[in-house]
Amino acid sequence: MPAYGLTGSVAVLDASLGRVTMLSSPSPFALSSQSIGLGKALTAARVSADRKTLFALSRGVQPQRTPNDERPQLLLIDGGSSPKVSRSYSLTEPMEQLVLDPQNEWAVVYGGDGVVVNLNELVLVNLAQTGADALSSKTLLSFGGSPRRFTFTAPLAVPGGEPRRFLLVERDADLVLIDLGAPDRDAVTVPLPKTDNGGTASPAQVVYDADSASLAVRVTGSTSVLLLQLAAPTSDGEDYSVVPNLVDVGGQPAAIDFVHNSQGLRLVALVGSSAVLVDPETATTQSVQMPAAFTGIRRITAELNPVTDGDVALLYGANVTKIAYFNLSGAPGALFRSIESSEIGVSVKNVIDVPGETFFDRKLLETPNQQFYVLDLHTRESAPMKTNGALSLEVAPDGERVWAYNPGQVGFASVDFATLHPVSLIAERRVSNVFDIEGGSGQRTAIALHLGGDLNSGIGATVLDALAPSTAYARFYSGLELGGVK
Amino acid sequence: MSARFGLSSALLGALLLAAASAHAAEPLASHQPYLQASLGVRMSKVSDAGFDAFADSDELTQVSLGLGGTLLRFQRFSLAAVGFWDYGARSSTARGSATDLDVHRLTIGPELRYHLLPPLYFFVNALPAFAHSSASLDDGVAEVTRYARHWSYGVDVAGGAAVELYAAPGENRFRPRLWAIAEGGYGYLGSTSLEMKPDAGQGPQRPAAVDLGSLSLAGPYLRVSAAVGF
Repeated sequence: MPAYGLTGSVAVLDASLGRVTMLSSPSPFALSSQSIGLGKALTAARVSADRKTLFALSRGVQPQRTPNDERPQLLLIDGGSSPKVSRSYSLTEPMEQLVLDPQNEWAVVYGGDGVVVNLNELVLVNLAQTGADALSSKTLLSFGGSPRRFTFTAPLAVPGGEPRRFLLVERDADLVLIDLGAPDRDAVTVPLPKTDNGGTASPAQVVYDADSASLAVRVTGSTSVLLLQLAAPTSDGEDYSVVPNLVDVGGQPAAIDFVHNSQGLRLVALVGSSAVLVDPETATTQSVQMPAAFTGIRRITAELNPVTDGDVALLYGANVTKIAYFNLSGAPGALFRSIESSEIGVSVKNVIDVPGETFFDRKLLETPNQQFYVLDLHTRESAPMKTNGALSLEVAPDGERVWAYNPGQVGFASVDFATLHPVSLIAERRVSNVFDIEGGSGQRTAIALHLGGDLNSGIGATVLDALAPSTAYARFYSGLELGGVK
Repeated sequence: MSARFGLSSALLGALLLAAASAHAAEPLASHQPYLQASLGVRMSKVSDAGFDAFADSDELTQVSLGLGGTLLRFQRFSLAAVGFWDYGARSSTARGSATDLDVHRLTIGPELRYHLLPPLYFFVNALPAFAHSSASLDDGVAEVTRYARHWSYGVDVAGGAAVELYAAPGENRFRPRLWAIAEGGYGYLGSTSLEMKPDAGQGPQRPAAVDLGSLSLAGPYLRVSAAVGF
């Protein structure tokens, strides 16, 4: 039973009954359950980036035998403390894949298992609209590939028009640009360069810079990075033009991103133990020696709120035991100001952001083993947290604390970002997930789920005060899957 | 359980005493039984949605023990006091969790009989009913059995017929006679809560109840019995 944490409720998918059990906390230590039908044959469920909405894609009754048979649909469920269906979109054909826009303006559904399926047919759902007007069906010009990944950009300042958002579709051997300001217009397909040995390259990463309307594509098996500049239209009927530029960065990059230094916009490519800075306008490159072969880069400029003229990036890697702060500000003309590295003794597989306005300058460094680090970007202190088992992390949506648990075990813990004091808790039953939600009276409630396996579809939960978690006061709930069974 | 059987014994004792008093006042006709003890089956149809968690059909079959004694007679009519104890159980699963329902039902009250023929009489009765239900749910998550145990009250109203199948040979007025009895009616019982809770001290600390709604065991029923009368 997959479970999802939303702002004011927890959603537990009950696929066998085609419904979701929404758990909310109307008052301290109280838990209420409500079942909401999802439609027949659920194929995908996603939570919006702001955790306010659960999206559920279902196939409906297939094959359709009567006009009244349920149609395929995309259902939106408000995940507040009073869960309810907020909207639904009826689709003409059953789809299986669902992609959400982090800014909650668009959703994309595609793929299916019909007798004939056009792998390049996308249905764009404009979430600002309702009914059939919200849906745009779009078939991408194809040379044999199919969609792999999707990126919704911020508004790009394309010359000759208003800033507008794009949907970037990475396919097997090309990149498709869909102008979300005019989704009915033809998409632009940009073929990817060949690999260094002449083979077909696939996209590995796409990044963009909104202010300059620049895109960069890292491709597999190539030492080159494809730069794409969105420019003013060059012919009638175009809304914009795409100017490609292939830049050799001297090795196959592990990660790329756009940054600003005192010289202007640069693309950073992490190549071995170097960071190669590429000027998108001139395609000139400059290499900077790094203290380790980092494979991940995360801009942390906004979190530091600096008064400098350049970005600061956090460098990390799955094969190195160091992290580094790459400060790209500096005197006019300088390439960068400093590289400060810290030995933390473990590799980092992921960097997790902390939401909210209080501890947004903290990052969680997720490691492949039983540790995680709470990183204070201002003081640059990294507090190691050791656990006694495999690790799953759940950052509270209010950004005040993180919950760590080991699925299938009884132990879990919270770490308050203000004090970094961990509170270890032992549930009375095995914990599947831990979520931190806002209750109906404004209280913060922690819900440790106890989900049965395939043979036992039971849903149970231990409910705690998230701000002062203690099993001495927790309440135990079970039988939540029985709601509606009469 | 002991309290319930104690109540049953007291009521049956009262029946016997009343029957003996009637006998002393006016002799019955040869086929009108002074006392009658029956063993049968009661089949109820429970359409309440709360029953669905414990059974995959609406039928509740119970073994039925009865005892009756004639209080008064007037020509072909007689008035008896009768009482029944019915017991039955159903079990099922709810989303994979085993459920059980045990029901004891005790009814006692007057029965008016009319002998159409010496070996055949018809009757109607209206019997106040007391039922004890014990619903249980095996909670696989909490790893405990939850219960909802309640008394409920109501009334059974029924009509039926009894046929004498056999009488022991001889002239003794009190020789045993075997009767076949069939009756049908409606049994009303009030609803009880199905807030399932573990017994005290069992399961996790501070467990919330699992609310399965309510249960009413009201519904039409049919009872067939074999009775021995004197």
